[in-house]
Amino acid sequence: MARYAMVFDIRRCIGCHSCTVACRTKNELPMDMIYNPVTTVGPTGVYPNLSMVHLPLICMHCDNPPCVDACPTGASQRRDDGIVFVEDKKCVGCLACVMACPYGARVKNHESGAVQKCDFCKDRVDEGKLPYCVLTCHQKARVFGDLDDETSEVYKLVNGERTVRLLAELGTEPYAFYIYG
Amino acid sequence: MSQKHEGWGWMLAVDFFFAGMGGAMLVIAGIVDLFVGEGRTSALASFLGAAFMALGSGLLIFELGRPFQSWRVFMNPRAILTVGAWVMSLAICAGLVYTTFSFAVFPWSDWVLVRKLVAVVIVVSGLIVATYPGVLLGRLKGRPLWVGPGMTSLFLTSSLVTAFAAHILCGMIVAPATIGDVLARFPAITAVLLAVQLLLWVSYMWVKISGATEAEAVAARRLLCGEYSSAFKYGLMLVGTVLPLLLVLVSSPLYQAAGAILVLVGGFILRMLVIYAGGADRTWLPGEVKYRSRLPHGDEAFMKAWNEKEFWTTNK
Repeated sequence: MARYAMVFDIRRCIGCHSCTVACRTKNELPMDMIYNPVTTVGPTGVYPNLSMVHLPLICMHCDNPPCVDACPTGASQRRDDGIVFVEDKKCVGCLACVMACPYGARVKNHESGAVQKCDFCKDRVDEGKLPYCVLTCHQKARVFGDLDDETSEVYKLVNGERTVRLLAELGTEPYAFYIYG
Repeated sequence: MSQKHEGWGWMLAVDFFFAGMGGAMLVIAGIVDLFVGEGRTSALASFLGAAFMALGSGLLIFELGRPFQSWRVFMNPRAILTVGAWVMSLAICAGLVYTTFSFAVFPWSDWVLVRKLVAVVIVVSGLIVATYPGVLLGRLKGRPLWVGPGMTSLFLTSSLVTAFAAHILCGMIVAPATIGDVLARFPAITAVLLAVQLLLWVSYMWVKISGATEAEAVAARRLLCGEYSSAFKYGLMLVGTVLPLLLVLVSSPLYQAAGAILVLVGGFILRMLVIYAGGADRTWLPGEVKYRSRLPHGDEAFMKAWNEKEFWTTNK
Protein backbone atom coordinates (compact mmCIF):
# COMPACT_ATOMS: atom_id res chain seq x y z
CA MET A 1 0.00 0.00 0.00
CA ALA A 2 1.26 3.44 -0.91
CA ARG A 3 1.76 6.23 1.62
CA TYR A 4 1.66 9.52 -0.22
CA ALA A 5 3.63 12.51 0.98
CA MET A 6 4.77 15.87 -0.31
CA VAL A 7 8.14 17.45 0.22
CA PHE A 8 8.61 21.21 -0.03
CA ASP A 9 12.10 22.46 -0.73
CA ILE A 10 11.78 26.03 0.50
CA ARG A 11 15.27 26.79 -0.74
CA ARG A 12 13.77 26.54 -4.21
CA CYS A 13 10.42 28.29 -3.66
CA ILE A 14 10.43 31.85 -5.02
CA GLY A 15 6.95 32.78 -3.82
CA CYS A 16 5.40 33.12 -7.28
CA HIS A 17 2.05 31.66 -6.12
CA SER A 18 1.72 29.58 -9.30
CA CYS A 19 0.74 26.60 -7.19
CA THR A 20 -2.03 28.61 -5.50
CA VAL A 21 -3.43 29.71 -8.84
CA ALA A 22 -3.09 26.25 -10.38
CA CYS A 23 -4.94 24.71 -7.45
CA ARG A 24 -7.74 27.24 -7.67
CA THR A 25 -8.04 26.64 -11.39
CA LYS A 26 -8.03 22.86 -11.14
CA ASN A 27 -10.51 22.75 -8.27
CA GLU A 28 -12.64 25.61 -9.66
CA LEU A 29 -12.56 27.40 -6.34
CA PRO A 30 -14.53 30.58 -5.73
CA MET A 31 -12.60 33.80 -5.15
CA ASP A 32 -12.76 33.51 -1.38
CA MET A 33 -11.21 30.05 -1.09
CA ILE A 34 -7.57 29.02 -1.07
CA TYR A 35 -6.32 25.50 -0.42
CA ASN A 36 -2.60 26.15 -0.61
CA PRO A 37 -1.40 29.61 0.33
CA VAL A 38 2.26 30.56 0.13
CA THR A 39 3.31 32.70 3.07
CA THR A 40 6.41 34.84 3.25
CA VAL A 41 8.65 35.08 6.27
CA GLY A 42 10.88 38.11 6.25
CA PRO A 43 12.84 39.88 5.08
CA THR A 44 14.75 39.48 8.33
CA GLY A 45 18.22 40.51 9.38
CA VAL A 46 20.22 43.68 8.88
CA TYR A 47 21.43 44.86 5.47
CA PRO A 48 23.36 43.42 3.72
CA ASN A 49 22.71 40.15 5.54
CA LEU A 50 19.04 39.75 4.78
CA SER A 51 17.00 36.62 4.31
CA MET A 52 13.48 35.88 3.17
CA VAL A 53 11.77 32.54 2.73
CA HIS A 54 8.49 31.49 1.19
CA LEU A 55 6.48 28.76 2.85
CA PRO A 56 3.97 26.82 0.74
CA LEU A 57 1.13 25.49 2.89
CA ILE A 58 -1.40 22.76 2.16
CA CYS A 59 -3.34 20.14 4.05
CA MET A 60 -0.67 18.10 5.79
CA HIS A 61 -2.50 14.79 5.27
CA CYS A 62 -1.63 13.81 8.82
CA ASP A 63 -1.18 10.25 9.95
CA ASN A 64 -3.12 11.18 13.07
CA PRO A 65 -5.59 13.71 11.63
CA PRO A 66 -7.57 15.57 14.31
CA CYS A 67 -10.08 16.67 11.68
CA VAL A 68 -11.19 13.09 11.00
CA ASP A 69 -11.83 12.38 14.68
CA ALA A 70 -13.65 15.70 15.08
CA CYS A 71 -16.04 15.22 12.15
CA PRO A 72 -19.44 14.09 13.50
CA THR A 73 -20.76 12.95 10.12
CA GLY A 74 -17.87 10.86 8.85
CA ALA A 75 -17.41 13.23 5.91
CA SER A 76 -13.75 13.78 6.75
CA GLN A 77 -11.95 10.56 6.00
CA ARG A 78 -8.45 9.19 5.65
CA ARG A 79 -7.70 6.69 2.91
CA ASP A 80 -5.33 3.76 3.38
CA ASP A 81 -2.77 5.60 1.25
CA GLY A 82 -2.83 8.50 3.73
CA ILE A 83 -4.85 10.99 1.70
CA VAL A 84 -7.27 12.91 3.91
CA PHE A 85 -10.35 14.17 2.09
CA VAL A 86 -13.90 15.43 2.60
CA GLU A 87 -16.83 13.51 1.16
CA ASP A 88 -18.93 16.47 0.11
CA LYS A 89 -22.36 14.88 0.33
CA LYS A 90 -21.82 13.89 3.97
CA CYS A 91 -20.56 17.30 5.14
CA VAL A 92 -23.02 19.45 7.10
CA GLY A 93 -20.71 22.44 7.49
CA CYS A 94 -20.47 22.26 11.29
CA LEU A 95 -16.86 23.53 11.14
CA ALA A 96 -15.70 21.01 13.76
CA CYS A 97 -12.90 19.95 11.41
CA VAL A 98 -12.00 23.57 10.64
CA MET A 99 -11.54 24.23 14.34
CA ALA A 100 -9.71 20.93 14.90
CA CYS A 101 -7.15 21.45 12.13
CA PRO A 102 -4.08 23.15 13.59
CA TYR A 103 -2.85 24.09 10.11
CA GLY A 104 -5.84 26.12 8.91
CA ALA A 105 -6.04 23.88 5.88
CA ARG A 106 -9.82 23.74 5.68
CA VAL A 107 -12.17 26.36 4.28
CA LYS A 108 -15.92 26.65 4.16
CA ASN A 109 -17.55 27.04 0.79
CA HIS A 110 -20.22 29.67 1.39
CA GLU A 111 -22.13 28.65 -1.71
CA SER A 112 -22.52 24.97 -0.85
CA GLY A 113 -22.22 25.27 2.94
CA ALA A 114 -19.69 22.43 3.04
CA VAL A 115 -16.06 22.41 4.10
CA GLN A 116 -13.42 21.77 1.44
CA LYS A 117 -9.69 21.19 1.41
CA CYS A 118 -6.69 19.98 -0.56
CA ASP A 119 -6.91 16.26 -1.27
CA PHE A 120 -3.58 15.88 -3.08
CA CYS A 121 -5.66 15.91 -6.31
CA LYS A 122 -6.63 12.30 -5.50
CA ASP A 123 -8.50 11.96 -8.77
CA ARG A 124 -5.25 12.64 -10.63
CA VAL A 125 -3.14 10.57 -8.23
CA ASP A 126 -5.46 7.60 -8.74
CA GLU A 127 -4.69 7.88 -12.46
CA GLY A 128 -0.97 7.89 -11.77
CA LYS A 129 -0.61 11.63 -12.36
CA LEU A 130 0.93 14.29 -10.14
CA PRO A 131 -1.10 16.81 -8.11
CA TYR A 132 -1.66 19.97 -10.12
CA CYS A 133 0.42 22.20 -7.84
CA VAL A 134 3.42 19.87 -8.21
CA LEU A 135 2.98 19.82 -11.97
CA THR A 136 2.83 23.61 -12.03
CA CYS A 137 5.83 24.40 -9.83
CA HIS A 138 8.53 25.46 -12.29
CA GLN A 139 11.14 25.63 -9.51
CA LYS A 140 10.58 21.97 -8.56
CA ALA A 141 10.05 23.13 -5.00
CA ARG A 142 7.30 20.55 -4.56
CA VAL A 143 7.97 16.84 -4.78
CA PHE A 144 5.17 14.32 -4.48
CA GLY A 145 5.34 10.57 -4.23
CA ASP A 146 5.00 7.35 -2.31
CA LEU A 147 6.98 7.32 0.92
CA ASP A 148 6.72 3.52 1.08
CA ASP A 149 8.57 3.25 -2.23
CA GLU A 150 12.31 3.31 -1.49
CA THR A 151 13.06 4.31 -5.07
CA SER A 152 10.81 7.38 -4.99
CA GLU A 153 12.23 10.88 -4.80
CA VAL A 154 10.20 11.75 -1.70
CA TYR A 155 11.66 8.75 0.11
CA LYS A 156 15.18 9.84 -0.77
CA LEU A 157 14.51 13.45 0.23
CA VAL A 158 12.79 12.64 3.52
CA ASN A 159 15.48 10.17 4.50
CA GLY A 160 18.44 11.96 2.95
CA GLU A 161 17.83 15.65 3.60
CA ARG A 162 17.20 17.52 6.82
CA THR A 163 13.43 17.80 6.77
CA VAL A 164 11.03 19.25 9.31
CA ARG A 165 7.31 18.87 9.88
CA LEU A 166 5.19 21.86 10.87
CA LEU A 167 3.78 21.77 14.41
CA ALA A 168 5.18 18.26 14.84
CA GLU A 169 4.93 18.70 18.60
CA LEU A 170 1.14 18.39 18.35
CA GLY A 171 1.44 14.71 17.46
CA THR A 172 -0.51 14.95 14.22
CA GLU A 173 2.33 13.36 12.23
CA PRO A 174 1.92 15.45 9.08
CA TYR A 175 3.03 13.96 5.78
CA ALA A 176 4.15 17.28 4.35
CA PHE A 177 7.88 17.67 4.85
CA TYR A 178 9.92 20.84 4.53
CA ILE A 179 13.55 21.11 3.51
CA TYR A 180 14.74 24.44 4.86
CA GLY A 181 18.48 24.45 4.32
CA MET B 1 -14.63 36.12 3.52
CA SER B 2 -13.54 32.62 4.30
CA GLN B 3 -9.96 33.55 3.61
CA LYS B 4 -10.13 35.38 6.91
CA HIS B 5 -9.93 32.46 9.24
CA GLU B 6 -13.52 31.67 10.15
CA GLY B 7 -14.89 29.74 13.04
CA TRP B 8 -17.92 29.19 15.17
CA GLY B 9 -20.28 32.05 15.91
CA TRP B 10 -22.82 33.29 18.42
CA MET B 11 -25.32 30.50 17.81
CA LEU B 12 -22.89 27.89 19.08
CA ALA B 13 -22.16 30.07 22.11
CA VAL B 14 -25.88 30.30 22.84
CA ASP B 15 -26.21 26.53 22.34
CA PHE B 16 -23.39 25.91 24.81
CA PHE B 17 -25.08 28.25 27.27
CA PHE B 18 -28.55 26.71 27.07
CA ALA B 19 -27.32 23.11 26.77
CA GLY B 20 -24.91 23.46 29.68
CA MET B 21 -27.45 25.17 31.90
CA GLY B 22 -30.25 22.78 30.90
CA GLY B 23 -28.14 19.70 31.46
CA ALA B 24 -26.99 20.89 34.86
CA MET B 25 -30.57 21.81 35.84
CA LEU B 26 -31.54 18.18 35.29
CA VAL B 27 -28.48 17.02 37.24
CA ILE B 28 -29.58 19.11 40.23
CA ALA B 29 -33.21 17.96 39.98
CA GLY B 30 -32.13 14.32 39.72
CA ILE B 31 -29.64 14.43 42.59
CA VAL B 32 -32.14 16.14 44.88
CA ASP B 33 -34.77 13.54 43.95
CA LEU B 34 -32.38 10.62 44.56
CA PHE B 35 -30.80 11.78 47.81
CA VAL B 36 -33.37 14.11 49.39
CA GLY B 37 -36.75 13.16 47.99
CA GLU B 38 -39.28 13.99 45.31
CA GLY B 39 -40.95 17.35 44.80
CA ARG B 40 -38.13 19.34 46.42
CA THR B 41 -37.29 21.25 43.24
CA SER B 42 -39.61 23.17 40.94
CA ALA B 43 -41.24 21.12 38.16
CA LEU B 44 -40.73 24.17 35.96
CA ALA B 45 -36.95 23.73 36.38
CA SER B 46 -37.08 20.11 35.18
CA PHE B 47 -39.17 21.10 32.18
CA LEU B 48 -37.00 24.10 31.33
CA GLY B 49 -33.85 21.99 31.68
CA ALA B 50 -35.03 19.81 28.81
CA ALA B 51 -36.51 22.77 26.92
CA PHE B 52 -33.27 24.75 27.14
CA MET B 53 -31.31 21.84 25.72
CA ALA B 54 -33.82 21.50 22.88
CA LEU B 55 -33.55 25.24 22.21
CA GLY B 56 -29.75 24.99 22.15
CA SER B 57 -29.89 22.05 19.76
CA GLY B 58 -32.22 24.01 17.49
CA LEU B 59 -29.81 26.91 17.35
CA LEU B 60 -26.95 24.53 16.65
CA ILE B 61 -28.82 23.25 13.60
CA PHE B 62 -29.02 26.80 12.22
CA GLU B 63 -25.28 27.23 12.79
CA LEU B 64 -24.61 24.43 10.30
CA GLY B 65 -23.73 25.21 6.71
CA ARG B 66 -26.33 22.65 5.65
CA PRO B 67 -29.10 22.67 8.28
CA PHE B 68 -31.30 20.16 6.43
CA GLN B 69 -28.51 17.58 6.67
CA SER B 70 -28.28 17.96 10.45
CA TRP B 71 -29.25 14.33 11.10
CA ARG B 72 -25.82 13.32 9.87
CA VAL B 73 -24.18 14.57 13.09
CA PHE B 74 -25.30 11.31 14.72
CA MET B 75 -23.17 9.23 12.38
CA ASN B 76 -19.60 9.14 13.71
CA PRO B 77 -19.32 7.66 17.24
CA ARG B 78 -15.61 8.61 17.35
CA ALA B 79 -16.48 12.32 17.26
CA ILE B 80 -17.28 14.08 20.50
CA LEU B 81 -19.96 16.13 18.71
CA THR B 82 -21.75 12.90 17.82
CA VAL B 83 -21.53 11.67 21.42
CA GLY B 84 -22.85 15.05 22.55
CA ALA B 85 -25.73 14.92 20.08
CA TRP B 86 -26.81 11.43 21.21
CA VAL B 87 -26.50 12.17 24.92
CA MET B 88 -28.29 15.52 24.54
CA SER B 89 -31.17 13.79 22.75
CA LEU B 90 -31.37 11.26 25.56
CA ALA B 91 -31.24 14.00 28.20
CA ILE B 92 -34.02 16.01 26.51
CA CYS B 93 -36.31 12.97 26.32
CA ALA B 94 -35.48 11.81 29.86
CA GLY B 95 -35.95 15.35 31.19
CA LEU B 96 -39.39 15.65 29.66
CA VAL B 97 -40.38 12.19 30.97
CA TYR B 98 -39.06 13.12 34.43
CA THR B 99 -41.18 16.30 34.41
CA THR B 100 -44.35 14.25 33.89
CA PHE B 101 -43.84 12.58 37.29
CA SER B 102 -44.65 15.94 38.90
CA PHE B 103 -48.23 15.87 37.59
CA ALA B 104 -50.85 13.50 39.02
CA VAL B 105 -52.72 13.54 35.71
CA PHE B 106 -50.16 11.05 34.37
CA PRO B 107 -50.93 7.49 35.52
CA TRP B 108 -47.24 6.69 36.09
CA SER B 109 -46.67 9.71 38.37
CA ASP B 110 -46.61 7.47 41.45
CA TRP B 111 -44.27 4.81 40.02
CA VAL B 112 -41.41 5.53 42.40
CA LEU B 113 -38.88 3.05 41.04
CA VAL B 114 -39.31 4.24 37.45
CA ARG B 115 -38.97 7.85 38.59
CA LYS B 116 -35.74 7.00 40.40
CA LEU B 117 -34.39 5.26 37.30
CA VAL B 118 -35.25 8.26 35.14
CA ALA B 119 -33.60 10.48 37.75
CA VAL B 120 -30.39 8.45 37.38
CA VAL B 121 -30.60 8.85 33.59
CA ILE B 122 -31.05 12.64 33.78
CA VAL B 123 -28.16 12.97 36.26
CA VAL B 124 -25.73 11.01 34.09
CA SER B 125 -26.82 12.42 30.72
CA GLY B 126 -27.19 15.95 32.09
CA LEU B 127 -23.70 15.83 33.54
CA ILE B 128 -22.26 14.76 30.18
CA VAL B 129 -24.17 17.51 28.36
CA ALA B 130 -22.93 20.10 30.86
CA THR B 131 -19.33 18.92 30.52
CA TYR B 132 -18.85 17.98 26.87
CA PRO B 133 -18.46 21.51 25.40
CA GLY B 134 -15.41 21.99 27.60
CA VAL B 135 -14.00 18.63 26.50
CA LEU B 136 -14.73 19.47 22.86
CA LEU B 137 -12.83 22.77 23.06
CA GLY B 138 -10.03 21.42 25.25
CA ARG B 139 -9.13 18.77 22.66
CA LEU B 140 -8.51 21.28 19.86
CA LYS B 141 -4.72 21.21 19.62
CA GLY B 142 -4.31 24.27 17.46
CA ARG B 143 -6.43 26.58 19.61
CA PRO B 144 -4.19 28.05 22.29
CA LEU B 145 -6.91 29.58 24.45
CA TRP B 146 -8.93 26.37 24.63
CA VAL B 147 -6.44 23.53 24.60
CA GLY B 148 -6.01 21.59 27.83
CA PRO B 149 -8.23 20.20 30.56
CA GLY B 150 -8.95 23.59 32.15
CA MET B 151 -11.78 24.43 29.79
CA THR B 152 -13.72 21.37 31.01
CA SER B 153 -13.74 22.54 34.63
CA LEU B 154 -14.64 26.09 33.58
CA PHE B 155 -17.61 24.92 31.54
CA LEU B 156 -18.82 22.43 34.15
CA THR B 157 -18.62 25.03 36.93
CA SER B 158 -20.41 27.63 34.83
CA SER B 159 -23.10 25.12 33.83
CA LEU B 160 -23.71 24.21 37.47
CA VAL B 161 -23.79 27.80 38.73
CA THR B 162 -26.19 28.93 36.00
CA ALA B 163 -28.34 25.86 36.70
CA PHE B 164 -28.57 26.69 40.42
CA ALA B 165 -29.47 30.28 39.51
CA ALA B 166 -32.16 29.02 37.12
CA HIS B 167 -33.51 26.72 39.85
CA ILE B 168 -33.74 29.70 42.23
CA LEU B 169 -35.72 31.70 39.65
CA CYS B 170 -37.94 28.73 38.73
CA GLY B 171 -38.66 28.13 42.42
CA MET B 172 -39.83 31.73 42.70
CA ILE B 173 -42.13 31.37 39.69
CA VAL B 174 -43.48 27.85 40.35
CA ALA B 175 -42.82 26.71 43.90
CA PRO B 176 -41.75 23.09 44.50
CA ALA B 177 -44.46 20.60 45.44
CA THR B 178 -42.79 19.93 48.78
CA ILE B 179 -41.70 23.11 50.52
CA GLY B 180 -38.52 22.25 52.31
CA ASP B 181 -35.14 23.71 52.95
CA VAL B 182 -33.58 22.45 49.71
CA LEU B 183 -34.34 25.49 47.59
CA ALA B 184 -33.37 27.76 50.48
CA ARG B 185 -29.83 26.35 50.33
CA PHE B 186 -29.38 27.07 46.62
CA PRO B 187 -28.26 30.71 47.00
CA ALA B 188 -25.42 29.66 49.32
CA ILE B 189 -24.40 26.86 46.93
CA THR B 190 -24.53 29.35 44.06
CA ALA B 191 -22.24 31.71 45.98
CA VAL B 192 -19.74 28.92 46.64
CA LEU B 193 -19.76 27.91 42.98
CA LEU B 194 -19.27 31.54 41.92
CA ALA B 195 -16.25 31.75 44.21
CA VAL B 196 -14.92 28.51 42.67
CA GLN B 197 -15.54 29.92 39.18
CA LEU B 198 -13.60 33.07 40.07
CA LEU B 199 -10.71 31.02 41.42
CA LEU B 200 -10.71 28.74 38.37
CA TRP B 201 -10.58 31.68 35.95
CA VAL B 202 -7.75 33.34 37.86
CA SER B 203 -5.74 30.11 37.89
CA TYR B 204 -6.59 29.36 34.24
CA MET B 205 -5.34 32.76 33.10
CA TRP B 206 -2.28 32.45 35.31
CA VAL B 207 -1.37 29.05 33.88
CA LYS B 208 -1.95 30.22 30.30
CA ILE B 209 0.18 33.31 30.72
CA SER B 210 3.04 31.96 32.79
CA GLY B 211 3.14 28.20 32.38
CA ALA B 212 2.17 27.42 28.82
CA THR B 213 3.35 28.18 25.30
CA GLU B 214 3.81 31.69 23.93
CA ALA B 215 0.73 31.25 21.72
CA GLU B 216 -1.35 30.41 24.79
CA ALA B 217 0.02 33.44 26.63
CA VAL B 218 -0.89 35.70 23.71
CA ALA B 219 -4.40 34.21 23.59
CA ALA B 220 -4.88 34.76 27.33
CA ARG B 221 -3.61 38.35 27.11
CA ARG B 222 -6.32 39.10 24.56
CA LEU B 223 -8.82 38.45 27.35
CA LEU B 224 -6.89 40.26 30.04
CA CYS B 225 -5.62 43.33 28.23
CA GLY B 226 -6.64 42.99 24.59
CA GLU B 227 -9.78 43.51 22.55
CA TYR B 228 -11.92 41.31 24.84
CA SER B 229 -10.64 42.69 28.14
CA SER B 230 -13.66 44.91 28.92
CA ALA B 231 -16.12 42.06 28.36
CA PHE B 232 -13.93 39.74 30.42
CA LYS B 233 -13.16 42.03 33.36
CA TYR B 234 -16.39 43.98 33.67
CA GLY B 235 -18.85 41.58 32.01
CA LEU B 236 -17.78 38.14 33.18
CA MET B 237 -15.75 38.83 36.30
CA LEU B 238 -17.60 41.82 37.82
CA VAL B 239 -21.20 41.64 36.57
CA GLY B 240 -21.31 37.88 36.04
CA THR B 241 -19.36 36.63 39.05
CA VAL B 242 -18.47 39.04 41.89
CA LEU B 243 -21.67 41.09 41.94
CA PRO B 244 -24.06 38.09 41.94
CA LEU B 245 -21.86 36.40 44.56
CA LEU B 246 -22.63 39.29 46.89
CA LEU B 247 -26.29 39.57 45.89
CA VAL B 248 -27.25 35.92 46.40
CA LEU B 249 -25.85 36.01 49.94
CA VAL B 250 -28.34 38.73 50.94
CA SER B 251 -31.34 37.02 52.53
CA SER B 252 -33.88 38.80 50.38
CA PRO B 253 -35.73 37.13 47.49
CA LEU B 254 -35.45 40.30 45.44
CA TYR B 255 -31.67 40.48 45.79
CA GLN B 256 -31.32 36.75 45.22
CA ALA B 257 -33.42 36.96 42.06
CA ALA B 258 -31.30 39.86 40.81
CA GLY B 259 -28.16 37.87 41.62
CA ALA B 260 -29.51 34.80 39.82
CA ILE B 261 -30.30 36.85 36.72
CA LEU B 262 -26.77 38.28 36.75
CA VAL B 263 -25.38 34.74 37.02
CA LEU B 264 -27.23 33.86 33.82
CA VAL B 265 -25.89 37.00 32.13
CA GLY B 266 -22.38 36.02 33.24
CA GLY B 267 -22.79 32.48 31.93
CA PHE B 268 -23.86 33.81 28.57
CA ILE B 269 -20.95 36.27 28.44
CA LEU B 270 -18.55 33.44 29.32
CA ARG B 271 -19.66 31.34 26.35
CA MET B 272 -19.51 34.28 23.95
CA LEU B 273 -16.06 35.27 25.16
CA VAL B 274 -14.67 31.77 25.01
CA ILE B 275 -16.04 31.07 21.54
CA TYR B 276 -15.03 34.38 19.98
CA ALA B 277 -11.70 34.94 21.72
CA GLY B 278 -10.61 31.33 21.29
CA GLY B 279 -11.96 30.91 17.78
CA ALA B 280 -10.13 33.94 16.46
CA ASP B 281 -6.78 32.52 17.47
CA ARG B 282 -4.80 29.61 16.17
CA THR B 283 -1.24 28.39 16.53
CA TRP B 284 -0.26 30.39 13.45
CA LEU B 285 2.27 29.04 11.00
CA PRO B 286 5.24 31.21 9.97
CA GLY B 287 4.12 34.20 7.90
CA GLU B 288 0.46 33.19 8.04
CA VAL B 289 -0.86 36.18 9.99
CA LYS B 290 0.71 38.61 7.50
CA TYR B 291 -0.56 36.55 4.57
CA ARG B 292 -4.13 36.49 5.84
CA SER B 293 -4.08 40.18 6.72
CA ARG B 294 -3.46 40.97 3.05
CA LEU B 295 -6.35 38.96 1.67
CA PRO B 296 -9.35 40.87 0.31
CA HIS B 297 -12.39 41.39 2.50
CA GLY B 298 -14.87 41.24 -0.37
CA ASP B 299 -15.77 44.93 -0.62
CA GLU B 300 -12.84 45.90 -2.85
CA ALA B 301 -13.55 47.23 -6.35
CA PHE B 302 -11.89 44.28 -8.10
CA MET B 303 -13.86 41.83 -5.95
CA LYS B 304 -17.14 43.57 -6.77
CA ALA B 305 -16.24 43.50 -10.46
CA TRP B 306 -15.44 39.79 -10.19
CA ASN B 307 -18.69 39.02 -8.41
CA GLU B 308 -20.61 40.92 -11.09
CA LYS B 309 -18.84 39.14 -13.94
CA GLU B 310 -21.76 36.79 -14.47
CA PHE B 311 -24.11 39.75 -14.90
CA TRP B 312 -21.86 41.36 -17.50
CA THR B 313 -21.09 38.18 -19.37
CA THR B 314 -24.73 37.14 -19.63
CA ASN B 315 -26.07 40.60 -20.57
CA LYS B 316 -23.77 41.45 -23.47
